[in-house]
Amino acid sequence: MFTRKSLGLDDAKRALDAILGALTPADNPIALAVADDHGVSVLCLRQDGAPPRMLRRARAKAYTAANLGMDTVVFRDDVVKATSRTLDDWGDPMITTLQGGLTVRSAGEVVGGIALSGNTTTRDEGLARIGLEAMGVA
Amino acid sequence: MLTNPTVSLEDAILAASAALAAAKPGDGPVAVCVTNENGDTVYLVRQDGTSAVDVRNAERKAYTAAFIGRDTSVYRAQLAHDGRTVADWADERVTTLSGGWTLRRESQVIGGIGVAGSGGEDRDERLALAGAEAAARLAVDAWRAQRGPRP
Repeated sequence: MFTRKSLGLDDAKRALDAILGALTPADNPIALAVADDHGVSVLCLRQDGAPPRMLRRARAKAYTAANLGMDTVVFRDDVVKATSRTLDDWGDPMITTLQGGLTVRSAGEVVGGIALSGNTTTRDEGLARIGLEAMGVA
Repeated sequence: MLTNPTVSLEDAILAASAALAAAKPGDGPVAVCVTNENGDTVYLVRQDGTSAVDVRNAERKAYTAAFIGRDTSVYRAQLAHDGRTVADWADERVTTLSGGWTLRRESQVIGGIGVAGSGGEDRDERLALAGAEAAARLAVDAWRAQRGPRP
C-alpha cells in the first residue's frame, strides 16, 4: 500500500477566493476548475454570463495539467509541437493543449491541477497562477 | 424575443451550501452539482473523501433533473410505468439514480441539483431536496419583492 496526496476542498476554496479577488472589471466572466491528482474535479464554477464551453475547457485544462503533470502550455510547446504529434496520439478526449491549466505540486509530487477559461489564454494562466500561489501547497 | 430564467452562480452556491448543511452524522462526504436548465454545470463542489464516481453521478443527476425536467426518482417511476429504460434516451449523461431535483421558477425549469456519496440514494435525495428547497425559497422571496408590501 502507499498513500497519495491530493488537493482538498479547502485548498480549492483558497484558490477561488484569491482569483475572485484578482478579477478586474476588464475581465470576462470566468470558469474555474480545480482537479485532484487524478484530474477528477474538486471545485468547478462558472460565473454568470460565462458560456458552458468555458467550464468544459477549464475542466479539460485542469485534467490535463494534473494527469500529465505539466502545465498545458508546456505540454503544447515541449511535447505536442516539439514532437510534431497531434492530440489524437494520447487517445484521451479530455487532454487539451489550451493554455491556462497549471499542475499543482506539493514537495515535487503532483497533487492536482487548476485552470481557468473565459479570457485570453495568457490571462487565464495568470489568474490560475494567482490561485495556485494562494493554495500555498508547494 | 425570449427571456429565459436560469440559475445564477449565486443561486447555485446557495443551493449547494444548503444541501451540504443538511448532512447528518453518518452521512458520507458528498459531491453536489448545480446545473442550468440545459444541464450545463454552474457549480460543482466535492467534499474531501468523495470518490470520483460520486462526482460523476452528482453531475449526471443534476443534468437529468434539469434536462429531462423531472426529479430523478420520478423519472425512474415513469420509465418503469412506461416499460422503458434510460437507453431509450440515447444520452450517457441521463440517470435514474435518486438524488436529482429539478429547480423551477414560475413553473419553468431553471436548472437542476444533484447529490451523490452520502451512502444511500434516499439520503442523497434528502440532501438534494434541501438544496432545491433553498432555491425555491429564493423564488418566493423574489416574488414577494416584486409584489411589494401587502396593502
